[in-house]
Amino acid sequence: MFQFINTLLIGITSGAIYALMAIAMVLVWRSTRVINFAQAGMALLSTYFGYEVMANFNSFWIALPVAMIGGALFAAFIEVVFMRLLVKHSSSGPIASVAPIIATLGLLGVIRAVVSMIWGGQDLRIEAPLSNDGFTLAGEVLVFSPMKLLTLLTVLGLMILLSILFQKTNLGLALRASAYAPEIARLSGIRVDAVRTLGWALAGAAGAVAGMFQTVNGSGTISPDSIEFSLLLLAGFIAAVIGGLESLLGAVIGGMFLGIVISFILIYINSGLFFIAPFIILLVVLLIRPQGIIGTKAARRA
Amino acid sequence: MVDELRVYQGALIAVYVIAIASIILLTGYSGQVSLGHGALMAVGAYAAAVSRIEFGIPIVLTFFIAVLAAAIGGALLGAAAARLSGPYLAGTTLALAIGLPSLANQFSILGGEQGIFFDVGFPPLSLGEDFTQYKWFFWIAALAALISMWLLQNVLRSRYGRTWRAGRGNEVAAQLCGVNTARSKILAFTVSAGIAGLAGALLSMTIGTVSPSAFPLALSFSLLTGAVLSGISTLSGVMIGAVILVAIPELADVIAHRLGTSESVTTNLPGLIVSGLLILTVLFVPNGPVEQHRARTAKHLASKKI
Amino acid sequence: MKAMNRRKLLTASAVLAVVGLAATAIPAQAREVGVSPTQIKLGMTLPMTGAASLGYNKIPGAAKAYFDYLNANGGINGRQVTLIVKDDRYVPTEAVAKTNELILKDKVMALLAPLGTANVKAVAAVVNPARRGVPVLFINTGFSGFADAKKYPTTYPVLPSYIMEAKIMGEYIKDNFAGKKIGLLYQDDDFGSDALAGFKTAGINFAVRVPYAAGSQTAAAAAGWITKFKAAEADVVILFGVSSATSAMLGVSAQLQYKPQWMLGSVGGDATTIKLTGVPAGVLFNAIGFSPVPATTDMKDEYVKLFSDIYAKAVPGSPFDLNVLLGMNTAFMAAQALKAAGPNPTRKSLIAAINTKGASFQNSALVPTNYSKNNHVGLTGYWVGKYSPTGDLAPIGGTYVAYTTDSGSGPVVKSNYKRPAMPAKGLPN
Repeated sequence: MFQFINTLLIGITSGAIYALMAIAMVLVWRSTRVINFAQAGMALLSTYFGYEVMANFNSFWIALPVAMIGGALFAAFIEVVFMRLLVKHSSSGPIASVAPIIATLGLLGVIRAVVSMIWGGQDLRIEAPLSNDGFTLAGEVLVFSPMKLLTLLTVLGLMILLSILFQKTNLGLALRASAYAPEIARLSGIRVDAVRTLGWALAGAAGAVAGMFQTVNGSGTISPDSIEFSLLLLAGFIAAVIGGLESLLGAVIGGMFLGIVISFILIYINSGLFFIAPFIILLVVLLIRPQGIIGTKAARRA
Repeated sequence: MVDELRVYQGALIAVYVIAIASIILLTGYSGQVSLGHGALMAVGAYAAAVSRIEFGIPIVLTFFIAVLAAAIGGALLGAAAARLSGPYLAGTTLALAIGLPSLANQFSILGGEQGIFFDVGFPPLSLGEDFTQYKWFFWIAALAALISMWLLQNVLRSRYGRTWRAGRGNEVAAQLCGVNTARSKILAFTVSAGIAGLAGALLSMTIGTVSPSAFPLALSFSLLTGAVLSGISTLSGVMIGAVILVAIPELADVIAHRLGTSESVTTNLPGLIVSGLLILTVLFVPNGPVEQHRARTAKHLASKKI
Repeated sequence: MKAMNRRKLLTASAVLAVVGLAATAIPAQAREVGVSPTQIKLGMTLPMTGAASLGYNKIPGAAKAYFDYLNANGGINGRQVTLIVKDDRYVPTEAVAKTNELILKDKVMALLAPLGTANVKAVAAVVNPARRGVPVLFINTGFSGFADAKKYPTTYPVLPSYIMEAKIMGEYIKDNFAGKKIGLLYQDDDFGSDALAGFKTAGINFAVRVPYAAGSQTAAAAAGWITKFKAAEADVVILFGVSSATSAMLGVSAQLQYKPQWMLGSVGGDATTIKLTGVPAGVLFNAIGFSPVPATTDMKDEYVKLFSDIYAKAVPGSPFDLNVLLGMNTAFMAAQALKAAGPNPTRKSLIAAINTKGASFQNSALVPTNYSKNNHVGLTGYWVGKYSPTGDLAPIGGTYVAYTTDSGSGPVVKSNYKRPAMPAKGLPN
């Protein structure tokens, strides 16, 4: 009985972080029609910013906003300097559709290498602000702690905030318009370029939160090659795709779905399937519903 | 007379030439993105090694088996891919790149993490006492590259190549012209995978074992990089990309020693250079140096005519 | 016109390839490798960075500390021993690539202590010992297959095999935990299957076995493993994984207040490494552990005293732990092998030296080695200890009780091996 509950809890907490990464990727997709494979790399960099703050001020509550701001600024920088250049130079030719993908892959490599050069390859600690000791229920210790609860609440909160932003504000409307119909948006007076940059900035912030929480929920250490970040890269992308790439709700559902199913596979079937499980899940979902769990058929063609 | 290391690198270049060519076919000609060609290389390599170990099949045949097995894998993948596009296709191939090699751990015949031996045997004594193992590898790989590139060039010039390019340019228009784009795309995947399988078997030959870690995600990315550097839409520059990929670690080593930098810089410099090169190429020379040169000469000629 | 330019490029590439083929057909010249009148070069590959590097990345510093001490005292017959180290991040293909560099570019005489079962297997295939004759000394893995001199004629293990360790663990369990439920955490490759084979010979039936894929040992994964052990109600849990897996397991157990009787395999059992990841010493207290070399806190042991002194001077501030002790021990054995290879050592003479005299090489271990021409068996057993309240491994009851066995079906026996005195100043004689 408790094995089931714990499996579910493990899945939900890891799923929450995947959902955050998926949100970041969906934000970028919705604002600029690009799959940003470097998102996890940006999250990594932001987490290192957070580490620097922790090392100097020893407060997670300062480190987190700094990481978010750092992540947002860096993402905006990349969008302005990098992506716009990309669109200008390669909007034709055989490579047009794949150029942004390849460019973000290159960016991921550059970020990883530079982070490694600056901070070295060893593990650096970030102390969790809340305890990671499990709650006790009916005499059994659950795989759920104050820290994990905080993570869950943060993800939900961010999702609600962002949804409100997108659906209920003029800024959100501008974001959506700039993605779907940039020319018309421009004609309506929307500064499309600025809005797109904002989309990237929001994604950068979300990625930073994912990176920080992934670290403190896990081993408490970061390194350029850490397994947690490789997982974040893969899982964030798969979660976004499973969720349909079109809505923030889809990202969250995709993330949760992925986290929970992986957890059950690893615990009930075979824990050696760590690297295969995400692939199988992705394949199965896309075979049954190529547009993702929430996506609409028309959206796939983009 | 030629340093052992150079011979080994020569063999690697030949392998990369074949692997990059497979990407050029799939992405440059047929317009489909695969982030998982490393996995298809793995399929070829495992097929070759298993057929050799379990069935004692002669070496030359094992390479054909590698091509066949990978091609079948490619056909399956292509059939699934026909329903996917853009990021969905990229995602599936990415997950394939990560997940497929680790399947080796689940079946004991595939040898698990440490892999299985793939031994092409020693060079025939008729080549002399001093003909080292690595020279033998180089000969096999280089010959395979020459033959396969010649064959591939002919295929790309044929009507299949034209069909692929038509489908890539404008799928609807191609369909209106009577092209069965779905079938053409699957064919592209199949042929591309077969070629990748050959490269995978050759790569395993040089290492001596087939294991999941010979085909990491980084390999798939390197292939893409090499293809972009070569000029993704034409086969002519394929050697450029292959040479760059093999030369980078050396180059980085030289630079790092000149600068006298720390361990962390030296280890990461190759990755940094490759990724940086990729970004620069995509930004400024997206169609590859060969096409760029061609376009420039064409413009030059055109302006001269007037 | 443009088509011709393109064809030209392709043809040029083809011509280059053919020239390359021709050039390599010219025979190369023989040369001496890795040994000069003033220097002997050795090469090492291991994870210096990455998930599996925890603890093991201190080994190069330790080995170099010993070699520097040796060189300051005359080296080997006047030759200075140089160790070149390359990071393979525990990835077999990188181990292969780096080993190629060591042999082809750096031209080392022999490889020393490469780490990791999968890595050494891959390396052994590339080195192709039958043809190249490169010695692979004192490998840092306990996989039993490497002792087979027919398959690996130039490869020499030093650590007791995982089969031996599992058998000794099995005996201890039968003597002390009969009737209890036993759980096992193991790595999903040859490292793990060796352990399984040993436990099978010992006749241990597990209530639950949890494999993990190498590279997947995160805290979240550990939570999953613990859930399985809890569900099976294991009384004793054996951790037969690398340091990072052991640390993840113990760390998360503390958070979940999961407290079975822990039994740590030697690969991941270094207390200092584990404590560095934040695992409280209290979690390790009373866990059972195994080691072939003396406890690292045992300053009464002459080897531990000398090595820790040398290390403290070479790398001040760095704690002296099991990885350091094993690293220096291996360097010490390598020095003896090089000395025994004669005044003009060659690869062949080095191999012959270990085959004939290897069993008498002195080292700090409390169990004997068993090198011979047909069986490259290194150390043959372990002593059993418990972790103290400060989390350091110490012999149960204060005196070392060691057990030896083989990698086959031989029995586990208490060892009455008396370790010979250390040679003067810890230098080979």
